[in-house]
Amino acid sequence: MKREITFKLNNEERKVEVDPGWTLLYVLREVLELTGTKEGCGYGECGACTVIIDGRSVNSCLYPILEAEGRAVTTIEGLRAASGELHPLQRAFVNEGAVQCGFCTAGMIMSAKALIDENEKPTEDDIKDNIAGNLCRCTGYVQIIDAIKTAAGGGRT
Amino acid sequence: MEKFTLIGKNMKRIDTAAKATGEAIFSADLTLPRMLIGKALRSPYPHARIVAIDTSKAERLPGVKAVITAQDMCGDKWGVFRYTQDQQFLPTEKVRYMGEEVAAVAAIDEDTALQALKLIDVQYEALPSVFTIDDAIAAGAPQLHDAYPNNINVHVKIDVGDIEKGFNESYLVREDTFSAPEDAYFQGEPYAVVAQFDQAGNLEIWMPNAGPHMKAKPLSNVLKIPLNKVRVRKITIGGAFGGRSEISPADVICAFLARKAHRPVKIVYTREENTVATRQAHALVTKIKTGVDREGKVLARDITCHMDGGAYSSTGPIATSVPFLCMEQAYRMDNVRYNGYRILTNKPIRGMYRVHGRAFACGIDIQLDMIGAALGIDPLTMRLRNARQTGDYTPTKSYVASCGMTESIVKAGEKSGWKEKFGKLPPYHGIGIGCNSVQTGFPMGIRGGSQAFIKLNEDGGITVITGIVDNGQGNDNMVVQIAAEELGLTPDDVQLISADTEVTPSDPGSYAMCETFIGGNAVRLAAQDVKKKLFRIVAGEFGIGVDNLTARDRKIFVTENPEKSMSIAKAVRIALSRNESISGEGSYWPNVDPKREWVKNPYGQLSETFSFGTVIAEVKVDPETGQVEVLEVTAAQDVGFALNPQVIEGQFEGGVAMGGQGGMLSEFLQWHEGRVLNPTQFGYLVPLAIDMPKINNIIVETIDPNGPYGAKEAGMSVAMSAAQAYCGAISNAVGVYFHDYPITPDKIVKAIEEKKQKENAEVPG
Ligand code: FES
Ligand code: FES
Repeated sequence: MKREITFKLNNEERKVEVDPGWTLLYVLREVLELTGTKEGCGYGECGACTVIIDGRSVNSCLYPILEAEGRAVTTIEGLRAASGELHPLQRAFVNEGAVQCGFCTAGMIMSAKALIDENEKPTEDDIKDNIAGNLCRCTGYVQIIDAIKTAAGGGRT
Repeated sequence: MEKFTLIGKNMKRIDTAAKATGEAIFSADLTLPRMLIGKALRSPYPHARIVAIDTSKAERLPGVKAVITAQDMCGDKWGVFRYTQDQQFLPTEKVRYMGEEVAAVAAIDEDTALQALKLIDVQYEALPSVFTIDDAIAAGAPQLHDAYPNNINVHVKIDVGDIEKGFNESYLVREDTFSAPEDAYFQGEPYAVVAQFDQAGNLEIWMPNAGPHMKAKPLSNVLKIPLNKVRVRKITIGGAFGGRSEISPADVICAFLARKAHRPVKIVYTREENTVATRQAHALVTKIKTGVDREGKVLARDITCHMDGGAYSSTGPIATSVPFLCMEQAYRMDNVRYNGYRILTNKPIRGMYRVHGRAFACGIDIQLDMIGAALGIDPLTMRLRNARQTGDYTPTKSYVASCGMTESIVKAGEKSGWKEKFGKLPPYHGIGIGCNSVQTGFPMGIRGGSQAFIKLNEDGGITVITGIVDNGQGNDNMVVQIAAEELGLTPDDVQLISADTEVTPSDPGSYAMCETFIGGNAVRLAAQDVKKKLFRIVAGEFGIGVDNLTARDRKIFVTENPEKSMSIAKAVRIALSRNESISGEGSYWPNVDPKREWVKNPYGQLSETFSFGTVIAEVKVDPETGQVEVLEVTAAQDVGFALNPQVIEGQFEGGVAMGGQGGMLSEFLQWHEGRVLNPTQFGYLVPLAIDMPKINNIIVETIDPNGPYGAKEAGMSVAMSAAQAYCGAISNAVGVYFHDYPITPDKIVKAIEEKKQKENAEVPG
């Protein structure tokens, strides 16, 4: 039995017909065709599917879609300014070399966004803790941490 | 004026903005009209005869559009080499590992496809299995393939100089054995394939790959269609590390399903499938006997290595050779014998891995530490005394045109404070060093060279067409950077068409670190070809010689008189109006010995040049818990020339994470009778941000005589040295040399315990 739910997605009110068994990740990727959010495992171990719900970073692969009713969901597609300009985190990831294959990138940036929205001057340890649930096989994390520092205003430019 | 505008400088990669915005499309992101979802049925047995397969129930399930078994294929066997053709994409006779594909379905959605798999009835007759190297080579062991008696898949034998004489002349000889279980590649992106046929029977297919041409040929063979009908398309790739090198059964299955259903099909692997059914890295047992003189110089080495290759050959002959070849490049060894055996077991298939053979590299390096300790020579000095030098030949007869081994050791030593620290650190505090060297390609038959084309647009911009593939390391950017530099353009002026078998010319693929050296040289030559033609036009207009011109800032100007210039756009328009071709072509064939062969003739020039690296790690061990805290890592590599330092540093750091932090502290696959117990992060433990130490990067440049701008490769020698540095540091901290990897906390606690017991026993009274 399909149900209709309403939630705010990247600042836009959306009504979607969903199967109650679906996850938010499934709805984002398969129903709404927002494929920027990735699936690296499907059970909460890699962070590739991270989105922000009401200000908190969440693994969307574990998030039952019905829970999204009435909430505000932000995905990587919602980060650019209306002008098309990259979000400071996106810019910093590009400038600092924090993106290699890019599969983890959307999830990393969303985790980092939840952090710096709340904590303007995160320490290196804050940053490491914040992305502890986001696996990256390529970078060794150094340039990712630099990028987050930069975006938060504390790192190299 | 600076020599280069783009080369040698940090340059933002051209591909990364699309990745940071989520716009880059990976294989699993593709959706095509009427697309079906494909799933493979996998063997629950590690070794079994397939008695019968009944798919009738699955076929009748509403929503199922195609079911395939081995009956749909011609029974062809595939192999990387003619002599290793042993794998059917769907087996006809028996399954050889738990997880091997036996049938597949395509259905309107994933749920239906999964339900259909349950309706396929396969009757198996279980066969006895072998899961370890020892069991596999024991007398009377069950045999996996008729073609490989005693389950010995590959035997590589190298014998150089006179080892008996070397041992006789040695002041000290020791023999040790080192071992490690399998590692998982754990690419960010789980494997995925999308395939469709058009009305003319052309296959279009997208998947992570390390060389589109390497995928196209076997697809053409097994589908029985000409190569020009197989169009492996470019797609963003989420990491490879050696694990996307070959054709995968998933590629073939997806194509067969699409052909049978007359609809596009997508297969997306789960994380478990990616761990079990793509490739794994070999388990190794390495026995090393080394003899040295009083100064620690190696006089003879005898190495026997057994590798657990799993159920099929895969890249077996290469995998059996590479750990040895890297070390024979890194260190001088005039008298050496190597016997490498790849053994088949009823476990998933093993391929080439970025940090291939930790129990080999650590064996060589840690044994040097042990020998040094006996001679009173510190590990760093041991490496300096044995380091490869420019102008040497390796034991298997490769000329070394440029070598920064010594420089990387010295610089890493200085930066890490080796002299002040080694032997002077507090208890349970240690420092260790590792070295290695990698190839920039090897003889790859007709696909060993790379070609590139460049076409000019009337506004002065260019399109570069090359077979080079980007697995995430930044190859696309490297191509654009080189082409733009040569022609005095900005990266925005360059369009790239790459890694598409319909349009792009032959290229070896992203194997063995060859893309910068071989592909990069081809692109540079193509750009120089264009430049020559443009210069001819401008020189004619200005009435001067072509040698007096320079291309920069989208202009061609007189070198001595920069005021006098013509825009590239104008030169292009002149060429067009005169019907003069200004397209460029470049091709590069590396100087390797085509007669060299992995098993039959492992001698001759292996690769045109080699990179050399050193890693030093400093650790603190908690003797109660065995936890290792890595305080600082210093990574140095001779990259030839740093085309883009930021990219190189990222490769160094990624290499330290994979080879050292993961490879020596946590990562290994656990087994129960052929089943992987920890296919996911939960048990496998890829390093996280919180695990990572401070890393110092040192780029050493030797300017290779034939690399593009002197470049070789960007970070593999660091990746392959990190495990040894970690191992040496922990051994130094604990006062015990470790032989079995990774060095997990339980092993450390046990080693400390045993050491204490031994010391107590020795205390009189
Ligand atoms: S896909 Fe959600 S955590 Fe891995
Ligand atoms: S950039 Fe490849 S997984 Fe992070």
